[in-house]
Amino acid sequence: MEFEMRNAECGLRNMRSECPEFRIPNSKFQNSEGHRVVITGLGIVSSIGVGKEEFWKNCLQGNSGIRPIRGFDVSSYRSRLGAQLPEVDFKAFIKPANLRRMDRIGRIVVSAVRLALDDSGIDVKKEDPNRMGMSIGTGLGSSDTVDQFFRSLLKDGPTGAAPLLFQTAVPNAIASHCSIEYGIKGVNLTFSHKETSTEMAMAFAYRLLKEGRADVILAGGGDELSEPLYHVYSMLGALSPGRGKGPEGMRPFDQDRNGVVLGEGSGILVLETLEHAEKRGAKMYAEMSGVGMAGSTDGLLRYDLKGDSIAKAMSVAAKEPSTVDYICAAANSTPDLDRAETLAVKKVFGERTKEISVSSLKSMIGEFDGSGGIRACGVALTLFHGVIPPTIGIEHLDPQCDLNVTLGQPKKKKIRSALLNGCANGGSNISLWFKRC
Amino acid sequence: MKKRVVITGLGVVSAVGNSILEFWNSLIEGKDGTKEITAFDPSLYRTKIAAEVSDFYAEDHFSRKEIRRLSRCDQFGIVAFREAWRSARLDRDPIDKEKVGIVLGAGSGGILSVEKYFRDFYQGLKKPSPSLLISYSLATTTDLIAIESGLKGPRTTTATVCSSSSASMGVACEMIQMDLADVMVTGGSDSLCEVSYSGFSSLKLIDPESCKPFDRRRQGLVIGEGAGILILEELEHALKRNAPIRSEFLGYGICADAYHLTAPEPNGEGVERVMRIALNHAGITPEEVDAINAHGTATPFNDIAETRGIKKVFGERAREIPISGIKSMVGHCLGSAGGIEAVATVLTLENGIIPPTIHYEVPDPLCDLNYTPNQSIKRDVQVALSNSFAFGGNNVCLVFGKYDGV
Repeated sequence: MEFEMRNAECGLRNMRSECPEFRIPNSKFQNSEGHRVVITGLGIVSSIGVGKEEFWKNCLQGNSGIRPIRGFDVSSYRSRLGAQLPEVDFKAFIKPANLRRMDRIGRIVVSAVRLALDDSGIDVKKEDPNRMGMSIGTGLGSSDTVDQFFRSLLKDGPTGAAPLLFQTAVPNAIASHCSIEYGIKGVNLTFSHKETSTEMAMAFAYRLLKEGRADVILAGGGDELSEPLYHVYSMLGALSPGRGKGPEGMRPFDQDRNGVVLGEGSGILVLETLEHAEKRGAKMYAEMSGVGMAGSTDGLLRYDLKGDSIAKAMSVAAKEPSTVDYICAAANSTPDLDRAETLAVKKVFGERTKEISVSSLKSMIGEFDGSGGIRACGVALTLFHGVIPPTIGIEHLDPQCDLNVTLGQPKKKKIRSALLNGCANGGSNISLWFKRC
Repeated sequence: MKKRVVITGLGVVSAVGNSILEFWNSLIEGKDGTKEITAFDPSLYRTKIAAEVSDFYAEDHFSRKEIRRLSRCDQFGIVAFREAWRSARLDRDPIDKEKVGIVLGAGSGGILSVEKYFRDFYQGLKKPSPSLLISYSLATTTDLIAIESGLKGPRTTTATVCSSSSASMGVACEMIQMDLADVMVTGGSDSLCEVSYSGFSSLKLIDPESCKPFDRRRQGLVIGEGAGILILEELEHALKRNAPIRSEFLGYGICADAYHLTAPEPNGEGVERVMRIALNHAGITPEEVDAINAHGTATPFNDIAETRGIKKVFGERAREIPISGIKSMVGHCLGSAGGIEAVATVLTLENGIIPPTIHYEVPDPLCDLNYTPNQSIKRDVQVALSNSFAFGGNNVCLVFGKYDGV
């Protein structure tokens, strides 16, 4: 305990020299920056599979989750596609009494948490609930519930406002559902910052674990594809085919890419201190080893056009850039982002760029604000199995996106470390660095 | 040693003042910002009041083109940010913008604009302008401020509504201590809208007369609006540029009740834990705390749970510590509540004056602490806490201290 306290005070890279007691006996569990953090469980609810096995099989086979939209009418839009979840039997994951209180996105994320906990082998009842936390990212949370609430308010005035809808409509309801369902009493925070919502949630969890302020944090998040969301994206001109000439579709790095296809789902990582994980003999997928962030200021709906901020985020995150063998790209089939990310990778890795494999899982699961959780699960599986999933949908690789993009078949490769990029329109950029265990 | 974080700038827009000076004078005079609602027609509601921002003229701050694009929430946020930025002298000092970031807390955000869009859209009256939809994301105000002032550091938005902007300060502090930034803009902005008003109204959580925290007659909250922005800065960085150091950010705590979607844990167990986590993180003992800015929403359950939690942490001393419930004056500003109250807490430390809880007349036997009734008091304050709790039991506690100069 005393070591932990001391370490918490000294756990900063640049303060190392000023903190002589910092070197602690058991250096296996801690490095110069504090506790080592590992991924010990994965929970995935995605359009290409519920549970890590099905998800990973489809990832490697390059199976897309994109289909014509079901559930609402899209005939008035130029777009008609989406990567929606299959029918999920939420009863398999959530107690029936609690299921009633949750809206759809609540159910999706709570199910992903259940899957992640089961995968990690953690029995919450045996843990100190105050040392377990939730760090969740969601771009638009319960967009459908908000819409229902609003419509009934419009129709019936104040008497139409339904209290049960209101209490689940707040963005933090998702993390609250999780804490109530599993009795998790430690840190509980929700981030909502467009496409970097979940990356930030993981970064925050990483920091607290590093400092020894928790043993286990469930980190990640998700989003749902709802009719109002589809409408908003369409009106803002973000959906493929936009004004593009080519057909509608998700084609990251392709020269005819013309906007995003919306997806939905949730990915949750069990992040844990190495010390705690070893103590309970946990299986480890990968180590989380760095976080980088930088903002760009090109415009409210613009990505980092020159790629400088994305490059800065990557270079701060990857403290040993020469070991990076794989990048799980943020590329989302928009003309600007895919080009900017390419520029950024070249800026950071120079000559080595061609050696680094790149893929965009968004080509299969679609784009949504909370996609980072699922993509981080993908990175963990990539490091664990040493196989890189392909990017699908590419017919003509854009010469301006001339990275070593994995196409067609999955590629076997020993991966020492990997980066996960999250880039939001408006200018938030986050990069997370993971190492093989 | 951990990096120390200080507050070097403050800015505010609120129902009782649109500048720090006006806001603070109103608070210590006990001025109530509650009035009849003008943002929408409240005639069909049981309650008709809110703590709306008044005397705020967008034309004083923005061009006509900007006004068309900025939601009311964005406008409050930017105006409070500009005041905070200037007061920290960041407009004059040469600083590396690569290491200036922003974390704001969001509540209903730009939903007022989105509401306008969908009202027209669903009623088929006219074709609404899609530009109203750029406020659909809760991150909009954060991004706009970063873009306006060229901030290239870390950027994110917290979204736990009633505790959002308090949580944002914890996150900002981590970013400085991780060496991702030297300066962080933090706090939050929110505007009154019918969606959140009708929601709280449907839960019967709104008082029809006034907000009366800890008083036995309390019936609930009064919704407010505004923005509270604080500049957090790494101490060495602040000293090097000779910045005005207003107080020190000593630490924070965040935890979950894991109890209920709307009701707080009735025994104050979550309140106790979050204050203990915060004090522990700050390296402060309960004996050192001189004042508490309560969450004090004036809902029957919150005030009892908060009182019980405070008693558990401070024991006998609980009755001696002056507590302020400034929601009685500024209302519950949801996404900006924590920011506005943190501004008040810093001003409390700076001026040695504890703002009152107004409308306090009938004591409640279940709320039997010193709530600083109706009159502000002079008191030297070295360490002060600010509590914020949200739906779902998302608790946050912040610890501020006087900067001691060493």
